Amino acid sequence: MFDRDIWQEIFHSIKNNKLRTFLTGFSVGWGIFILVMLLASVNGMQNGFTGQFNDDATNSIFIRPGNTSKAYAGFEADRRIQLKNDDIEYIKRSFPEDFVDISARFFRGVSARYKAETGSYSVQAVHPDHQVIEKTIVTQGRYINNNDIATGAKVAVIGRKVGQDLFKTEDPIGKFVEFNGLPFRVIGIFIDEGDDNAERGIYTPVSTYQRIYGNTDKIDQILLTYNPTYDLARALEFSDRLETLMKRKHKVSPKDQSGIRVWNYAEAFSDISSFTGVLSAVSIGVGFLILIAGIVGIGNIMVFIIKERTKEIGVRKALGAEPGQIIKLVLLESVFITALSGFIGLLFATGILSLIGPSMQSPAFTNPSVSFSTVLTATIILVVAGLFAGMIPAIKAANVKPIVALRDK
Amino acid sequence: MIEIKDLHKSYQMGSNSLHVLKGINFSVKEGELVAIMGSSGSGKSTLLNILGMLDVANEGEYMLDGVPIKDLNETKAARYRNKFLGFVFQSFNLINYKSALENVALPLYYQRVPRKERQEKALKYLEQVGLKEWATHLPSELSGGQKQRVAIARAMAAEPKVLLADEPTGALDSTTSYEVMDLIQKINDQGNTILVVTHEEDIAHMCKRIVHLKDGVIVEDKKVKQVRASEYV
Repeated sequence: MFDRDIWQEIFHSIKNNKLRTFLTGFSVGWGIFILVMLLASVNGMQNGFTGQFNDDATNSIFIRPGNTSKAYAGFEADRRIQLKNDDIEYIKRSFPEDFVDISARFFRGVSARYKAETGSYSVQAVHPDHQVIEKTIVTQGRYINNNDIATGAKVAVIGRKVGQDLFKTEDPIGKFVEFNGLPFRVIGIFIDEGDDNAERGIYTPVSTYQRIYGNTDKIDQILLTYNPTYDLARALEFSDRLETLMKRKHKVSPKDQSGIRVWNYAEAFSDISSFTGVLSAVSIGVGFLILIAGIVGIGNIMVFIIKERTKEIGVRKALGAEPGQIIKLVLLESVFITALSGFIGLLFATGILSLIGPSMQSPAFTNPSVSFSTVLTATIILVVAGLFAGMIPAIKAANVKPIVALRDK
Repeated sequence: MIEIKDLHKSYQMGSNSLHVLKGINFSVKEGELVAIMGSSGSGKSTLLNILGMLDVANEGEYMLDGVPIKDLNETKAARYRNKFLGFVFQSFNLINYKSALENVALPLYYQRVPRKERQEKALKYLEQVGLKEWATHLPSELSGGQKQRVAIARAMAAEPKVLLADEPTGALDSTTSYEVMDLIQKINDQGNTILVVTHEEDIAHMCKRIVHLKDGVIVEDKKVKQVRASEYV
């Protein structure tokens, strides 16, 4: 392998056939280039899709009530289902192993006023766990805590835009803002990376809002996250159980699709991952087909090289070269050409990706890149390809009969 | 050194079979310098090819240095060739992208001699054929006679039991031919066994024994008084 004489001969035959070696090497390099680019593009799409959902915790489940569509248990159809505080307690009791965070959501539009500035915003009254479920980032102050819930404190966490609109240059933290005439103290400011509109929202403790709106225990939605160690099947199984239980509790037909809707993020993810899975399988297939064309090219050049060197191989055999040594020479040459040109293709592809990849930030296509394992696989493919390409010519070379090769007349 | 009994060789030419060697009995002792003569088609090259294990006989026995040469596969033949035989060809057959030194060192490479030792040995043999100064030159920079001398040095480098020369002077003018023959004689003087295939009378008479082949049989086998090539140089 690390024999100087063998390498000298390989370099010599490459040097003597520069154009031919380049053209064949190019086809292999191009094959690898396309393969890597295809895989990176699929990866970019995958990143884009996942990024779209990153706004919320990926293991979250939403429970939304609606109007029943079927008559059931003595109730007529089109009955409005209302969630209440005890639904949350009920879920907590029923699924202690499955859920991690749980929060109610109760929303109302308000008109807010600070000094002379006013504006209309949507207030979401929530539990402290809501921060984790929505991945809310608090940049100043704090989020709602359990103490706020217990005391029904009139506090608010406002979006960055709300702060800009109402307080202008003032620091909102600790100031009082009026929501529909009632004073709330600003305890925190949050931002949202994906969405400017979300920064026009306001969070308050759910208990506070329930008291203000007629001392009710009604809530609009329940959000929860499930145990993150669950795989897809187990996550879906949990949301099915949850749905069955909620429907039974609210006397909704198990077949009713609109009375209570339990929506699991995992479902969306399973669709996306099967979609991108098919996509990457297709691109690997296409890449391979292109690569095969390159390999055939290398095999072709090797056959020609052997033809040209028949006499030389005959001389070598007369001097005592064993067939194994001839095979080694030919195989090493073909592996060298494939590996080198493929490596150049790989280098180009990864180079381009690292240059333009980070700047690709559209929602459907984000940061196309290849993993180390892809690169490793490609390299192994190259070496194996080189071996395959060289195999037939090498055996042909080893079978050259010295007497035929040396016949000079 | 060489022991041949009842050697037969025929080639299949389509439906016809061409009987080239029709029972050759022939032996060569160590230190001999034998010329094999005959017109083209007499079977002299075929005989040399069989002796050189480049071709196999259909029938007959062949002993080389006490080793029976039979049932050869490619690898075994390669090892025997490397160990027992040195070849000199009419058209030199040097590898054109290797320097004179590398050409001479090639059989040693196949003997798995370490690189350094290989080069020292190769240089020694180049010196013996008087081409030490040309060691780094490519074959294309050498004259015909020089090329053949490099080829002889290459054949000798492996220290073979027998040197087989197929028309070694066939591509050379007479002066250069004598130079090459002079070299062959000197190598023979050192005790090496050499077989030369030729169809030139004067070259044959520079050997010690002439074997005449005609239509696949030996018609004459005589010892001759050797003419020294140095007289002509």
